[in-house]
Amino acid sequence: MTDLALDMRGVSKKYRYFTLDKVDLKLPRGQIMGLIGANGAGKSTTIRILMGLVHQDAGEVRVLGHSMPAEQVAAKWDIGFASEDMRLYDSMTLGWHMNFIRSIYSSWDASYAQLLLKRFGLRADQRIKGLSHGQRVKSALLLVLARKPKLLVLDEPTTGLDPVARHEILRELTEVMADEDRSVLFSSHNTQDVEQISDYITFIDRGRIIDSMDKEAYLDRWRRLRLEVPLGIDLPALPGVIGVHQRGRLAVATANAFVPDLANAYESTGARVQCIENMTLEEIFVANVEHSREEVEA
Amino acid sequence: MNGSIIGHLVLKDWRLHRSLILLTLAIGFVALLLAQFGGLALVLGGVWFFVVLCVLGSMLPASTILNERKKQTLAFIMSLPVSSVQYTIAKMLSIWALFLVPWLTLLIFALVLIANGHVVPQGSVPMLLMLAMLPLIGFCLMFSTALVGESEGWLIAASVLCNSSYWLGWYLLARVPSLAANLKAPVAVWNAPAITVLCAELGLIALITGLTLFFQSRKRDFT
Repeated sequence: MTDLALDMRGVSKKYRYFTLDKVDLKLPRGQIMGLIGANGAGKSTTIRILMGLVHQDAGEVRVLGHSMPAEQVAAKWDIGFASEDMRLYDSMTLGWHMNFIRSIYSSWDASYAQLLLKRFGLRADQRIKGLSHGQRVKSALLLVLARKPKLLVLDEPTTGLDPVARHEILRELTEVMADEDRSVLFSSHNTQDVEQISDYITFIDRGRIIDSMDKEAYLDRWRRLRLEVPLGIDLPALPGVIGVHQRGRLAVATANAFVPDLANAYESTGARVQCIENMTLEEIFVANVEHSREEVEA
Repeated sequence: MNGSIIGHLVLKDWRLHRSLILLTLAIGFVALLLAQFGGLALVLGGVWFFVVLCVLGSMLPASTILNERKKQTLAFIMSLPVSSVQYTIAKMLSIWALFLVPWLTLLIFALVLIANGHVVPQGSVPMLLMLAMLPLIGFCLMFSTALVGESEGWLIAASVLCNSSYWLGWYLLARVPSLAANLKAPVAVWNAPAITVLCAELGLIALITGLTLFFQSRKRDFT
């Protein structure tokens, strides 16, 4: 059995106005990966290729050891997929959907389904038509979680939810992820959600993976240095610094491979380091995307 | 794994559309019973009988295939352990059954009424079958267009084409002398033109179905 829940190598898919370009992505079993990208970055295309719903033009995709899309049926028995644009049948009740899923999956856990109904404040006899957006998302998640999949693939599940519904869903996902054998791929453009629950972070922009690594190591690598630069001193380009913005005597350097010696290197040029700040995942994401785009355009 | 996934998908479509089938059957039965009164009622009942089949043939592809895309329930179905080929097979089985059950039931009921009544002579049975095959062909074409074309525009075009062609088909069949001559015969006459027309209609259905499977198997995106 492979140790990877997901393994994408050199995956490309070309559309008229968008290209997914040689994507490499690996998710070890039992880990949670947050896939972050702006709208139209390629998150959903990547996920649809992983699910076998879209066939890649080039490259190899393996999910839970199964080659995709050829072995998608075998793979999908163990994948729970929910996306922001997925809808249930309006004219039927949640209970009807639960019975439908239960009739297919022998892994369906009826008592857990009842527990989720209570936790999410849902009623099995209510028609989908009458549910709010938040209740619909919770219903879709209930149907996925109660069949205990080995891999959860969630495409922007918290988009458009109010803060309370988002909190309820993230809390449930955090509990689900306590199962060490379960792997999760969680896509979002909301960095707060991803930061809260992920072990691994992957940034995607304009169809390219621009970074992918362990979250803690990632957050640790990025720093913002606020500098005071005396007149007549030019700041040198230092390794690990991806951008310096200077206005008058004040400068801000953004480092994507921070080491304590970096501050000493600036001090040695005559600049004074006022402070070294941690960056939020959102700030890192924006800086990373801008840097990546500058590199591509250069 | 609990049973066949194709079976589950077929049953799902049946549960979702049973009210439409029941309504079709109810209108069809009323139309056929009305036709038993003869005269204007026969014309009215006959027209209702064919119209209800034509309407069902147009509604089923829109409701079972395009609505799954439009209302975004296709992603839910495709997240289940099903391939695009299995989805196509399940769709074909369910939608064919959804159409054939009322079509066959109403046709058999019409044949029983003809055999036991005195309003419509038994010589009209071959013509009834040939005419009833036209909504079946139209349904087949609209279903294939919806499945392969995946667009409301294509389905509307196919629907307009079929619904305007039915009347032409019925007019042309009624003008074939060797078919029209036996309409008032006391027993059904299965002559060569009647058999040829029925075989051609069945052949057309087989061709459309084969082409549908061929085009579906070549699709690379299924969302």
